[in-house]
Amino acid sequence: MIEAAAQLAVNAVALGAVYALVALGFVLVIGAVGAVNFAHGELVMLGGMVGVGAAMLLPADLPVPGLLVLPAVLAVMAAVGLAVAGIAYAPLRRAPPTAVFIATIAVGLIVHHGVTVGIGPEPRRGPPLIDSGILDVAGVGLAHQQLATIATAAALIFAVHFLLQQTRFGRRLRAAAQDPEMARAVGIPVRLTIAVSFALAAALAGAAGLLLSNQYLVTPTDGGALMLKAYVATVIGGWGRIWGAALGAFAIAVFETLVAASASYLVAEALLYLGVLAVLAVRPQGLFGETTGRRA
Amino acid sequence: MTGPDRRDLVYLAAAAAGLGGVVALGDTYALRVATLVGIYAIAAIGYQLVFGRLGLLSLAQGALFGIGAYTSALLTLSLGLPAPLGIVAAVVAPAAVGAAVALPIARLESHYVALATLGLAQLALLAATNLELTGGANGLYGVPPLAVGPVEIVGGWPMLTLVWTLVGLCLLASRAMLAGGRAARFATLRDAPHAALTLGLNPVPARLVLFAAAGALGGLAGGLQVHGIGVVSPSVTGFEVMVTILAIAVVGGRGSGPGAVAGAALLIPLPEVLRFLEGSYLAAYGVVLLAAIVLMPRGLDGWLRDRFPRRPPAVPAAASAPARRRGKALAVDGLRKRFGGVTALDGVSFAVSAGTVVGLIGANGSGKTTVLNLISGLETPDAGQIRLGGVPLAERPAHHRTALGLGRGFQHPEFPEGLFVLEAAAVAARDRSVALAALERVGLAGRAAEPVAALGAAELRRLDLARTLATEPGAVILDEPAAGLTADERSALSALLRRLADEGLAVLVVDHGMDFLLPLADRIVCLDAGRVLAAGTPEAVRRDPAVVAAYLGQGAAA
Amino acid sequence: MRRLIPVLLLSLAVPAAAAPALAAGAAEPVAVSVLVPITGFLALEGTAQRNGAVLALDKPPAGVSVTYQVADTATSPEVAVTALQRALDREQPVAVAAPIFGTQMLAMAPIADRAGVPLVTVSGTAKITELGHDVVFRFFPTDAVVKVAQARYAVQELGMKKPAVLYQTTAYGQSGREHLARTLKQLGVEPVLEEAIDPGIKDLVPALERARAAGADGLLLQLHSGPTALAVRQAHGLGLGLPVVAGSAMHQPTTAALLEPDQLTGVCAETASSPVSEADPRVAAFTNAYRERFHSEPDAFALGQYDGMRMVLAAVADGARSPQAVRDWLAGRRYQGLAMDYVSDGTGNMAHDAVIVCYDGTGRVPTIMKRYDAVDGVR
Repeated sequence: MIEAAAQLAVNAVALGAVYALVALGFVLVIGAVGAVNFAHGELVMLGGMVGVGAAMLLPADLPVPGLLVLPAVLAVMAAVGLAVAGIAYAPLRRAPPTAVFIATIAVGLIVHHGVTVGIGPEPRRGPPLIDSGILDVAGVGLAHQQLATIATAAALIFAVHFLLQQTRFGRRLRAAAQDPEMARAVGIPVRLTIAVSFALAAALAGAAGLLLSNQYLVTPTDGGALMLKAYVATVIGGWGRIWGAALGAFAIAVFETLVAASASYLVAEALLYLGVLAVLAVRPQGLFGETTGRRA
Repeated sequence: MTGPDRRDLVYLAAAAAGLGGVVALGDTYALRVATLVGIYAIAAIGYQLVFGRLGLLSLAQGALFGIGAYTSALLTLSLGLPAPLGIVAAVVAPAAVGAAVALPIARLESHYVALATLGLAQLALLAATNLELTGGANGLYGVPPLAVGPVEIVGGWPMLTLVWTLVGLCLLASRAMLAGGRAARFATLRDAPHAALTLGLNPVPARLVLFAAAGALGGLAGGLQVHGIGVVSPSVTGFEVMVTILAIAVVGGRGSGPGAVAGAALLIPLPEVLRFLEGSYLAAYGVVLLAAIVLMPRGLDGWLRDRFPRRPPAVPAAASAPARRRGKALAVDGLRKRFGGVTALDGVSFAVSAGTVVGLIGANGSGKTTVLNLISGLETPDAGQIRLGGVPLAERPAHHRTALGLGRGFQHPEFPEGLFVLEAAAVAARDRSVALAALERVGLAGRAAEPVAALGAAELRRLDLARTLATEPGAVILDEPAAGLTADERSALSALLRRLADEGLAVLVVDHGMDFLLPLADRIVCLDAGRVLAAGTPEAVRRDPAVVAAYLGQGAAA
Repeated sequence: MRRLIPVLLLSLAVPAAAAPALAAGAAEPVAVSVLVPITGFLALEGTAQRNGAVLALDKPPAGVSVTYQVADTATSPEVAVTALQRALDREQPVAVAAPIFGTQMLAMAPIADRAGVPLVTVSGTAKITELGHDVVFRFFPTDAVVKVAQARYAVQELGMKKPAVLYQTTAYGQSGREHLARTLKQLGVEPVLEEAIDPGIKDLVPALERARAAGADGLLLQLHSGPTALAVRQAHGLGLGLPVVAGSAMHQPTTAALLEPDQLTGVCAETASSPVSEADPRVAAFTNAYRERFHSEPDAFALGQYDGMRMVLAAVADGARSPQAVRDWLAGRRYQGLAMDYVSDGTGNMAHDAVIVCYDGTGRVPTIMKRYDAVDGVR
């Protein structure tokens, strides 16, 4: 029983850490441009596929294939992020946010169906980060992959935290998100900052895709469900609040795993959405959102 | 609404061309696609009311479509109801669900509306997929076609005619819902929610009615769909239907009913047109959708509006006489307000008698705007009372206070997109001649037929004052009305405020400093860190040592 | 808009004129429409259908000339009906290769019935042949056949007494679960757990732990390809040590490719056939041609659809040149296909045999362990 509980806990934490990465990328774009990037789930899937492809290029028996592939996935997906910013956001800077929303839906369709047509509809398995071994901790076998996933996701989240809190880029990003007009007035290159946020968001999505692809496989149809999770997490965490979203995503994964293990998946999903409605009824500003004074 | 809108003529011409095209093609397939366009158009016309007019990103329209489809399918299959009655139920049930949804989420802001409606839609999908009643993932099959007497409407021209007749009726219904100045009021609720509240507009009934209408049309579309193809499966409640309707609404142009029809006519046949690409057709669909939104970010209707602007409203021949409403004294007593750990107001009391101008001054962050927000009902005080003409206000919602005679002007007023000056001023007026009179008082009557977008920042503040005066208030509270005005504009404003007071109104004016208020105000109240530092005649306050020390500084006293 | 509408209508007409793929042959060509889900959550199975059909249609028997077009039916009945209407109006097919997705078949059958055009599918959904439309021809055993084989093998051969059933919340999963439950009951076995799993669920450990906690002595899976691989791998990782009898998704080479051979040890699956396992030279020839053409491994859906389209072509070669004639030929004849012999049971069920394949832990190609012929009593 202890072993089962430990397994479930490690799985929940690993999945939660990856979902947190997904939500982090999602909320970065919301912060930067005030619009939902509907293609974000598809970018996670694409990152997984890029990881699968990159691993195939590696010689067969290299150690830590997933970690070797990670920089390539981050780089490719950052470039994809820049492309998304160039295609779906730049021409619509002055358009209403819903236009950007629709443009990202279009990008999502292109990515999803481009992958289905390009490499086929089969589910695929990405490389393990380290190997497929099992670590024995006091009689409980924990997969290396799960532990490495948690460590990698935590490292990436920490890196993003450092980037946002400690660097000039982070200050610019936060300034541009809060008040683009003012940011522009004080000489912050808002367009560049936004492009970099898209790149960062896509890179995080790609990393999440790679982390998921070994243990949980990757299928071209994966995007939709991931996008919904990130959306729910972002709103639960308080709209546009970066760490709220990451925390929200983590909470969702843990909640789902625990309820599924004790009741069933159906109960877990129903309770998740009923819970969301209850949260909104009690706290209309999100679970972790703060009440702030209204500036009329 | 004066004369036919030229855009309508374009839409009619396009519809005629579309009909010609369908006749020319003539086969069942073309008729089926055209019917499908009509079905999605109906759902999207409904969605425009919530998404376009109220500006709420509801993600439940797809689910309402599905609820309509399942309702009619279940009633006709298991109770043997005739299909037309099933369709009626398919309209009523989702409308009821829409209204029920609107109530609890009426106080949520847009992104939370999106999540709440998404949650409901996911629950509907979960139920449809897993309940035995709904046939599980396979859904229900063998749903009878619509029939008029013995004549079955299976497909082809009869179904097409039925669906497009309903499209026309839905357009007329949605137009009727937006007539009589309601379009401007919905636009104000959407784009200027705070102003809407202080102008006495109540968002709750608007949301209730429009959500119900959106549900009715979504359900009607779902009902038509299910009787058209005879099966219903959980895919109708899925996210793809929702995304399609949303894309139609945006590509058609936010808020526009005819635009929704045009958007459906563009997007629904598109995959069919791209069929020859086999597996790549949906990626190509994405490319075209992207191109459409980049070329027309405000949608087809916005694109048309740039070319065929809306005609300005008819300006009434004469303004009505100035309002004869009795002035009402305004008093606040012991107001307290905390935000998080910060005390914004700590026991503020003062009064504004009818027929007087009171100035409220204080440094940034001293609590001036918070006082106005508490008086107008945008914020709730933690303690204290507000009285207007002796009537306690603190427990009343903002729109009640307007009805009791309170008017509020904003420092940075918000205005809805796409209105003319007269429409913006008339949004809360008894009628347009009252609004014109208010425009006259602020010196904007000559510009009544211009778009709001043509006004400068100072003029917008006058327009804000005009729409407030058009509610015929007994007391007005104004937030820095003089900021950024030229000397001439300031003296005109000063004269206007004096005249309002002379007519009997209680006038409370917030301003930074005393220059503007000194010659105008009968009394000055000076706030500092959420407390009243001094109150009295302008001269007395100006000389008050505490005010001098804390606020006006040595230079002003000298 | 004024400019857009004519363009739109014009382009709506274009596909009608688009040049169809023309296969070899001299005689007056007949048309066949391939309407299968090549996007969405059934894209894997639908693509196998498409490939099987294309392989058959590209090499018609001597004297037969065929044109065909492929169109996606995606994931909703609405799209499928539109595709069928388009095919009927613009291609006048003698037969349609129709989607594996049962809901789509339920919507298409009445329309095809009115037009008298046979729908040739590999859908397992039992209901599609139970509604009296005599145009549906199923070249894959129904759930009423394969699920009997799966349950019998689990109970009678592996001795499961307390199986746990994990099934997908899709038509495939729910229909399979229903038939599994029915057969298990007949065999006097009660599942200790029946867990519904959404295709979007990533982690199956909660379900597997619940199976363990419930004291399950075996797993019966009715999941799509990816989730099946996930369940097998996670069950292996947890060291459950339970025998697994999976649904047909497990026999798909795509599924096995996601797993290591040792993870597959002792895993079995029901299916109609396993083209990669067959030594029969004709099946091997099919498998090689498939690999060469599509650079992937064929599964039983591809072979079933191939057999179905070959039977249609045989009908045409025999002089059936109208949809009604093809329908009557399909309904009245026995046909020796690669996977099995096909004959209608009177309602359009053509396939009556199932096999159980198992993996022995040395590779990803299963061996056929047991054949269940004529499960529904049709010979």
